[in-house]
Amino acid sequence: MKRWIVMVAAIAAAGAAHAAGNPGAGKKKAEAVCAACHGADGAKPTAPENPILAGQHYDYLVKALKDYKSGKRENPVMKGFAAALSAQDIEDLAAWFASQKSGLTVKR
Amino acid sequence: MQPSRLLLLAALGAAAPALAQQPAAGEAKSLRTTIAMCQGCHGIPDYRTAYPDVYHVPKLGGQSAKYLEAALNAYKSGQRRHPSMRGIAAGLNDKEIAEIAAYYSGSGK
Repeated sequence: MKRWIVMVAAIAAAGAAHAAGNPGAGKKKAEAVCAACHGADGAKPTAPENPILAGQHYDYLVKALKDYKSGKRENPVMKGFAAALSAQDIEDLAAWFASQKSGLTVKR
Repeated sequence: MQPSRLLLLAALGAAAPALAQQPAAGEAKSLRTTIAMCQGCHGIPDYRTAYPDVYHVPKLGGQSAKYLEAALNAYKSGQRRHPSMRGIAAGLNDKEIAEIAAYYSGSGK
C-alpha cells in the first residue's frame, strides 16, 4: 500500500511538472524576450497586431510556441524567437503568461 | 449492416442539410449566423480540440481585433494550418472577418 501511494504521488508530481511549467522561470525569460512586443505580463501588447497572452490557455500557448519553432505556424518574427527556446523554456513561458491576469475571456 | 455504419450514415445525413443551407461565400450573413460558427468551440469553457492535436482552443473574448483579423486571414490564406479553422475561414469575406474580430475584441457589439 505504501509503495502504491508513493508511486501514485510520483506520477502525479511528474504529471504536474510536465503540465505546468515554471512560471517564475518563465517570467525572467518573458522579460528578456517577449516583453518588448507583448508586454512583460502579456496583458498589454505594444502594438495592436500583437496578441494578448496573459490569461490564455497554457496548452494553447505551448502549442503556438512549438508550432512557431517548427515552422508549422509561419511568422518571421516569432520563428526567430521561438527557435531560441528549449522545450522547457516554452513550458515555463506558457505557465507564466497563462497565470497572468488580462481581459481575455471565453466569450460566447 | 453494422450499427457503427448506420450511425455514420445518419450523421452524414444530418450534416448534409446544414451544409446545403450555408450561403455562398460573399453573400451577406448576419453577425449572429457568423458567430454561430465560432461558438461551438470557442464559446465553451475548457473546450479542447480533438484533431489533429488535443489542447484548449484559445480564448477570444477581449483579444486584440487586429490580431484576430490577422489570424482569420492567415487561416483563409492557408498560412495557418489548423484544418477546422481553415475550413471556416475559407468561407468568410473581409467584412465578416472584421465583424468577428470586432465582436470578440469587444470593440464592436
